Amino acid sequence: MDLNYSDEQLLLKESAERFLKERYDFEKRNKIIASETGVDAAIWSEMADLGWLALPFAEENGGLGGGPVEISLTMEAVGWALVVEPYLSSVILAGGLVEKLGSEEQRAEILGGLIAGTSRPALAHTERQTGFDLDNIAATATKSVDGYTISGEKPLVPGGSFADVFLVSATLDGTVKLFVVPADSAGLTSTQVKLVDGSRASDLVLDNVPVLASALLGAAADTLAEIEAAYDRANAALASEAVGIMDALMDATVAYTKERVQFGKPLAAFQALQHRMAEMAVKCQEARGSALLATLSVDAPRPMRIRGVSGARAKIGKVSRSVAQEAIQLHGAMGFSEEMPIGAWFRRLYAIENTFGTTADHLKRYGEIIRDPAMLSGSLLREPV
Amino acid sequence: MDLLMTEEEVRFRNEVRTFLDTHLDEGLKRAERLNPSFLADPAVGLKWQAKLNDKGWVAPSWPRQYGGTGWTLAERYIFDQECERAGEPHFRGASIKMIAPVIMRYGNEAQKSFYLPRILNGEDVWAQGYSEPGSGSDLASLKTRAVLDGDQYIVNGSKIWSTLAHHATRMFALVRTADTGKKQEGITFILIDLKSPGVTIRPIRSICGTHEFNQVFFDDVKVPVSDRIGEEGEGWDIAKYLLEFERGGAFAGGMLRAMLARLQRLASEPLPGGRKMIDDPLFMARFAEIATDVDANDMLELSAMSKVQAGGNPGSVPSSTMKIERSRIRQSIAELAASILGTDALRWEEHRPLHELPEGSEIDEECKVASAVYFNSRSQSIFGGSNEIQLEIIAKTLLR
Ligand SMILES: Cc1cc2nc3c(=O)[nH]c(=O)nc-3n(C[C@H](O)[C@H](O)[C@H](O)COP(=O)(O)OP(=O)(O)OC[C@H]3O[C@@H](n4cnc5c(N)ncnc54)[C@H](O)[C@@H]3O)c2cc1C
Repeated sequence: MDLNYSDEQLLLKESAERFLKERYDFEKRNKIIASETGVDAAIWSEMADLGWLALPFAEENGGLGGGPVEISLTMEAVGWALVVEPYLSSVILAGGLVEKLGSEEQRAEILGGLIAGTSRPALAHTERQTGFDLDNIAATATKSVDGYTISGEKPLVPGGSFADVFLVSATLDGTVKLFVVPADSAGLTSTQVKLVDGSRASDLVLDNVPVLASALLGAAADTLAEIEAAYDRANAALASEAVGIMDALMDATVAYTKERVQFGKPLAAFQALQHRMAEMAVKCQEARGSALLATLSVDAPRPMRIRGVSGARAKIGKVSRSVAQEAIQLHGAMGFSEEMPIGAWFRRLYAIENTFGTTADHLKRYGEIIRDPAMLSGSLLREPV
Repeated sequence: MDLLMTEEEVRFRNEVRTFLDTHLDEGLKRAERLNPSFLADPAVGLKWQAKLNDKGWVAPSWPRQYGGTGWTLAERYIFDQECERAGEPHFRGASIKMIAPVIMRYGNEAQKSFYLPRILNGEDVWAQGYSEPGSGSDLASLKTRAVLDGDQYIVNGSKIWSTLAHHATRMFALVRTADTGKKQEGITFILIDLKSPGVTIRPIRSICGTHEFNQVFFDDVKVPVSDRIGEEGEGWDIAKYLLEFERGGAFAGGMLRAMLARLQRLASEPLPGGRKMIDDPLFMARFAEIATDVDANDMLELSAMSKVQAGGNPGSVPSSTMKIERSRIRQSIAELAASILGTDALRWEEHRPLHELPEGSEIDEECKVASAVYFNSRSQSIFGGSNEIQLEIIAKTLLR
């Protein structure tokens, strides 16, 4: 067991933080979300130059071979800076699935473009009724002469409004499969949706969209299992993003209460408020522990992965809401206005609580797993593989 | 002891119900359902106020001589409960509930006869000018200055977080007229015409996406001495009197109950997967817990009311308790409601006011406003004396 960051990992963290501090301050971010497209092409290509877009992929696929820990450090920085570019949805979720399921050609094309910064794939899997029952999919694919025809609705596709290519799930002969569908395909309509955190998604409608036979991803694979694993990686990343935001809220609150004078003293001099901030810090620490467990569970066997990931999402959903509410309260009316980033962090945490399973969904999923006494009583330390 | 209404009160309640059935139309109710903020959009609020004014019911708490109803406390309580149940737009705020009692108590005859009728008929809408950038909880540290020059004050400084000031015609404000003695002693209460030269209003958007409050700048603004309430330096006492109305004077039980009923309707609707939240034990446990909070808070209110009716004073602990609990209950209802949305919580409608959007089903509309209501609810524990300040008041009383 070793829970210390390596020097390289600390360097990565520092460089990510520096990049975002220099290139992505709150004002800059507000300009991006107010713009027509809601994304900054220059920032995206800088992310490509820095290697962010290559980070999680294996070297043989042109990636940097970064693991979950590297992703988690990057996501903490993303959370702090409130990045709205589709890093999570394009790189971790969609890119990750292409790496797992794609043929050599598919990987070369889609991952190649993603890593170079010229392509932004998006996963279109869940539907209105899906919730976190990932197999509850109504979209269908039928065989045609030279490929497949896909029909269905995919609301709220994360990163969808920036995507040039979609990975669309549909049932083919009763099994869920993924298809590569270019954004300009005939019969596909994508409507941009503004989200509560300032980012964008799209509502996708597929009306008999024809794709070639080569569009099928991972013909022989257990696609659902891979989709679930990809969501777990994304959920672990979200947990780390939330931790980054909680730290940001904590730091901002401490700094503000040291500055803000009422009754002749800085607010931070009132013990009642000191204890409130100490409680916030307790919650930030707890969240950090949970997120780390999630990070170190993404490659574990399924039940342990679920315990780590969904447990973290449930726990962090609760404590992050409390920290965000406290941060607003301690900022007074200032925290309630849009002028400071407090509200934007608050709204991003609210979005996270409703992304890739709600806090309640994850609590239930975790609850199912710990019904197994061995899972509940087993140590977090694992047998070597 | 009992909780019985008299025959007379039952008759009264039925009369109020009939009035609301016929006069509170769907458009007004829909606008209120789609309002994420504490107070209604003035266009909506004034429309409803005019209807109440025609009936003579716009200011239930005012004495009859000024155009009020002369109702007993119990009747006012019943009226409020019925208005909330029916879903009225909340608009009887700063004008009717705050500045009016002050004018009645501290104003001179000229001020009473000029201002009070203009409040009733909606000609004036008032904004509250207390907070300043440097003075929030510590209100007495305020710096906006008024200097006497002949028969007028010259006002310089800035007020912030002034709710609806961009729609208001006038502001009641606390200003500094002296620096000597205790800081509370140099404060004076004045009425400012917001159309005066030198007044600038800067909008501030809140985290729920609405422009509801503002910063207001005063640059050599002239205020006639005849628009001073009470004597120079008497402002602090007047402000404290007003805060009693802001904090304790409002009946909230009805509002909380109405919010809970809305939440129940939302939870009874099948979700996309066919499931209903009211069938979810985890949800129902939280829901029921909040309902017990509402009952307890309502009982505190009724007890305080009984004390006042018998000629007593409810004291500061119950009114601070009610303020704290009311904010917490509103926040937990809003939070639970937002938790129902699932993925749809991600969708954000930017347009304000929401009721200008094309009509959808009642449930779709509830979903459209629920996140904004949740964000907005966070302000409940900040304005009108934050929860920390209320706790200070309670602690001081306990530890005296
Ligand atoms: C939606 C909204 C509408 C408003 N409308 C109006 C309006 O119309 N007119 C108007 O004049 N004002 C209005 N206000 C302002 C409101 O009255 C102030 O926000 C409130 O008094 C708190 O002041 P502040 O925001 O400056 O917070 P601060 O006083 O800076 O306090 C920040 C935090 O510290 C806490 N705190 C402060 N002092 C202490 C202490 N001694 N011990 C422990 N905790 C402490 C507070 O409780 C708060 O949590 C509005 C505010 C909001 C949010």
